[in-house]
Amino acid sequence: MRATARGSLVRVLSQHAFLIIICLSALYPLWFIGSTALRSNAAYQLDPTGFPSHPTLGSLRTILFDEPLPRWMWNSFLVTVSSVAVSTFVALLAAYAAVFGRFRGHSIFLSTSVALMVVPPVTLLVPMFVFMVDTGMVNHLQSVIVFYTGLLVPFAIFFMTGFFRTIPQELIEAAASEGAGPFTVFRRIVLPLSGAASFTLIVVQAIWVWNELLIALVFLQSESSRTLMSGLAQFQGRFVTNVPLVLAGALVSILPVVVLYLSGQRFFVRGLTAGIGK
Amino acid sequence: MKRVLIFLGAALVAGSAMFAATAASKTAKTAADDPNNANLTYWYWAESDAPGANNWLKKQVALYEKAHPKVKISIVTQSTDTLTSAFTTAAQTKSGPDIATQWATLPTLSPAWAGATVPISDYVPASETKNWISTAENLWQGKIWAMPQYLIGIPFVWNKQLFKKAGLNPNKAPKTWADFLADAKKLKAAGITPFGMGNKDGYGGAWFFSLIGKQNLNSINELKDAMIGKADFADPKFSGFYQTLADLKKQGYLNSDVASISFGQGFELFGQKKVAMSWGTDGNVAQWEKQVGAKNMGVAAIPIWGKGKLATSYDVTQSSDAFITKWSKHPRAAAQFLTFLHTPQALRAWYKATGVFPADKRFPASAVTDPIAKQMLKLDQSPLSVWPENFVPPQVDQNADLAGGEMITSGSGSPAQVVKLWKSQLSQWKSQHPDEFRNYQKWATGH
Amino acid sequence: MAFAFGFPLVQVVRDSFYAGNFDSPIWVGLDNYKGVVSDPAFRQSLLNNMKLLLAVPVMLGLGLAIALVLNDRIRGGRHYQSIVFLPYVLPATAIGIAFSFLLQQNGVLNTALRKAHLGGLAQDWLGNSHLAIVSVGGLVVWQQLGFAVVVFTAALLSLPPETAEAARIDGAGWWQLQLRVLVPQIRPIIELLTVIQVITVISWVFNYVYVLTAGGPGFSSSVMELYIWRSFSNGSNGTAASVAVMLLGMAGVLIGLSLWVRRQAIAA
Repeated sequence: MRATARGSLVRVLSQHAFLIIICLSALYPLWFIGSTALRSNAAYQLDPTGFPSHPTLGSLRTILFDEPLPRWMWNSFLVTVSSVAVSTFVALLAAYAAVFGRFRGHSIFLSTSVALMVVPPVTLLVPMFVFMVDTGMVNHLQSVIVFYTGLLVPFAIFFMTGFFRTIPQELIEAAASEGAGPFTVFRRIVLPLSGAASFTLIVVQAIWVWNELLIALVFLQSESSRTLMSGLAQFQGRFVTNVPLVLAGALVSILPVVVLYLSGQRFFVRGLTAGIGK
Repeated sequence: MKRVLIFLGAALVAGSAMFAATAASKTAKTAADDPNNANLTYWYWAESDAPGANNWLKKQVALYEKAHPKVKISIVTQSTDTLTSAFTTAAQTKSGPDIATQWATLPTLSPAWAGATVPISDYVPASETKNWISTAENLWQGKIWAMPQYLIGIPFVWNKQLFKKAGLNPNKAPKTWADFLADAKKLKAAGITPFGMGNKDGYGGAWFFSLIGKQNLNSINELKDAMIGKADFADPKFSGFYQTLADLKKQGYLNSDVASISFGQGFELFGQKKVAMSWGTDGNVAQWEKQVGAKNMGVAAIPIWGKGKLATSYDVTQSSDAFITKWSKHPRAAAQFLTFLHTPQALRAWYKATGVFPADKRFPASAVTDPIAKQMLKLDQSPLSVWPENFVPPQVDQNADLAGGEMITSGSGSPAQVVKLWKSQLSQWKSQHPDEFRNYQKWATGH
Repeated sequence: MAFAFGFPLVQVVRDSFYAGNFDSPIWVGLDNYKGVVSDPAFRQSLLNNMKLLLAVPVMLGLGLAIALVLNDRIRGGRHYQSIVFLPYVLPATAIGIAFSFLLQQNGVLNTALRKAHLGGLAQDWLGNSHLAIVSVGGLVVWQQLGFAVVVFTAALLSLPPETAEAARIDGAGWWQLQLRVLVPQIRPIIELLTVIQVITVISWVFNYVYVLTAGGPGFSSSVMELYIWRSFSNGSNGTAASVAVMLLGMAGVLIGLSLWVRRQAIAA
C-alpha cells in the first residue's frame, strides 16, 4: 500500500526528528527560566548556559518574601476571576438569545461582536484612562475589571454562538413543546451541554487576562493594586543585573498557567478548535 | 426570551452598580496634616546610582517608624525606564505617592511647572535647607522644589593591571581624548576591550552626551538656547560628539554587545575585569573597588575632548531628588520624614551603605578615609560642574537623547540622522506641550 | 459593550484634535495627524507592523507542516501536540524577559552557536537595528505556532477520510497527498487563521515588543501600539489619540476582510 518500506522508515524518522526539534525549541526557554531561577547570580554571570549544579532557592525566596510578588499575584487572580466570570456569564446569555431567540437584529449584533474583536485595546486606552481618573477608579482593581470585561465579551459571544449553533434545534423544540419556558430550556438543556465549551472559554479568557500587560501597566500603578505582569515588567528594569531574580519572578508567573494547562489540556484543545472550526 | 434579556440587563445593571459603589467608597478623609500621624507612600529611585540605597532607606524607615509609631511609610522602588513616565501618568490622575523621586532640574521642574508638586522650601525652614548642597539645581521662583540626598560625580576609571598588560603606564590616566584613543589602540592590540558600556536602553549614549558632548560649550545656557530653538542643535558645538561616538564603535573600542546589553549590565563589565576603561557614578566606583581592588584601579577626571569652557567642568549633580506632591494630604509629615534623612545618623549610614557622598555640608570630610573615595571627593569639589542631561525636557531626552545614542551604538543611524531626530523631537515637544515649552522658555531666559 | 467601546471610540476621535495637557487641552485641528505622519518614529512603527506580517506565513506554514506530520497518526502524536501548544499559553511578558537575556550578543543563543562552531550565525539579535524587529517576529512565531498547529490538526481531523484513502489507492505519494489533497481541503480554515494572525500582528504585539526591545535600538523595533503608549506616557494625549484613530482605521479594514473570509468559510 505504501511506498517502499525503507522510504517510509526514512519518512517516519525524519518526521520524528522534525517534531523533536520543534519541541526542543518550544521547551528550551522554559528550561532556561526554570534552571536560571534556581541558580545564584554569580553562577549565572560566570556561565549563562550552564547547568544549575548548585541549585539554590535564594532568588525564589527573595521575590516571594521581599518583594510584593504574592500581592501582585493575588491582584491578578482577583482581576482574572471577576472579569472572566462576568464575561462568560454575559456571553452565555447573549449567545443563547442570539441563536435561539427571535429578536430582531440578532445578526447585526453578532457581526458587531466580531467586528469589535478586532479593535486593539490600546486605541481605547486614553479615553478609558480619562474616564477611570474622573470616576476615581484608577489604581483600583475595578478599573481593569471593567475594561477587561468589556474587551472579553465580543470574543466570548462569538465563541459561544459558534458553539450554540451546534446544538440541534430539535432538542430545543422538543423541550419547548413540553411547555418549558426559555429560561428553563436554558438551564436544563443548553447549559449542561455547553460544559466543555464554557470550560474552554473560561480557560482561554483567563489566560488572556492573566497575561495582559498594557492596560494593567497604565491603570494600576500603585504597588497595592499592581498586577503580576506589570510588576514583572518592572522587575526587568529594576533588577537588570540579577537575571536569576528576574527569571524567578517569571517562573512564578508561569507556574499557575502551566498547571492549569496540564490539568485541562484535553478539553482545552478540543474545545478551542471546536469553536474556531465553525 | 424576553425574560432572558431582562435578566441579562438586570445583571449588568447590578454589576455596574456594585462596581460604582465600591469605587465611590474611597472616603475622603480630611484628616489634619499631622506630621506625626500619616500614611506616606514614597516612590524611590537611587539604587542604580548608589548600590545599597534601597537597603539604607528601608532601615531608615524602620528607625523613623519606631520613633513615630503613628507614621507608616511604604516605599515603592521605581524602575529607571519608567521613572519619569510613571510619574507623568500619576500626575494626570492627580493621585499617587506623597513623595516622589525624579532626576534634578528638568524632570523635577516640569511637574512643578505643571502644578503637580509643592516646593519643599515651603515646609522645611531655611536653617535646614541652607545645609543642603546643590539646591540651585531645583530652584524656581526663589523656592527650592526638591531635596537633594546625595551628590554623585562620574569619574573616569581604568584598570591598572590591564593597562600594564597592554604596555601602558598603569598610573597614568588619559588626560585628553587623543591620549584616550592612543591608549585604546594599544589595549585593543593586546586583545583587551578598551571601553565598556551598555546602551540597549539608551543611557550609555545619554551619558556620552553629558560627559563628552558638553565640552564644546562655554556655558549651559547655550544648551538651554538650543532647546528652545534660539540656537541650532545641528551646530557641531552641540552635536559634534555623535561622530566621536560613532568612531569609537567603528574602531572597535567598545564592547561588542554594547547595543544589546542594558546600561546596568554595562556597569558590570568593569567590575568583571572584562574592559580596561569605563566611567561610573561614585557609587558604581565604590562597588568596583570591592570587585577589582583599590590598588588595581584608578579614578580621574573625564578626558578632555572639547574646546569650550565646559571641557574642564566636572559633572557632579544631586542626580535624583525627593519632592512632595501637590495632592499629598500629608505634606508636613512628608517633609518631616525627608528632613530626618539628613540627620547625622542618616548621613553616616548612607555613606557607609553606598560610598556616595551625602549632599549635606554637615557631613564631615573626615569620614571619608578610603583613598579612592578621597580622590572622588576632591573631583566632586571641582569649581565648575554641570550635568547637561538635567536641562533636556524629559520627552526630548527619551525620544532624542536616548534614542539617538542607541542609533549610533547599533550602527543604525549616522550622526546627521541623529541630529535630525533631535530637531524633529524638539519641534514635537514644542507643539505637543505648549505650556511646558513656555515655562521652559521663561525659566531659561529669565536668568 | 456599547459603554466599553462606543463612548471611548468617540472620545478618542475627539482627543486626536487636541494637544497639551490633560486639564488644558488646546484645539490644534489636524496638526497632531500631520505631526505624526512626519515623525520618523511613527513611520518606522507602521513599517514594523507591516514587517511583522511576514511572520504570519512563517507561522502558518510551519504550523501546517507540523499538523500534517501529526496527522499521519505518528506515535506519540498527542504528546508532541501538548508540547508544541505549551508556549501559546505562557505569559508573553515572562517569555519575552527570558528571550531578552537569551538573545543578547553574548547571551545563550550566541554562546551556543559559537560553541557549535556556527559563530558566523551569531548576530546581535537585539542590538542590531535591522534584526531587532526580526527577533520580535521570531518571538511571535514561537508563541503563536502552537495555536496554528492545534487549529490545523483539528481541521485535518474533521476531514472525511474517504478522500485521502481514495487518493492513496490511486497511488498518490506522500507529498502529493499532503499538498494536492489535504491542504486544499482545509483552505478556508487556513484563510481564517491568516486573518486572525494578521490582526494579532497589527494590534496585539505590545507585550512582546515592550519586554524584548522596548522598541529599540532607537525606535527601530517600535510598533504602533508602543508608539501610542509612549506618547501617552509622555503626556502627549493628542498624539496618542491620533495614532489610535489611524490604528482603528486599519483595524476597520481588517474587520471587513474577516467578515468576508468568515462568510467564505461557512459556505465551504
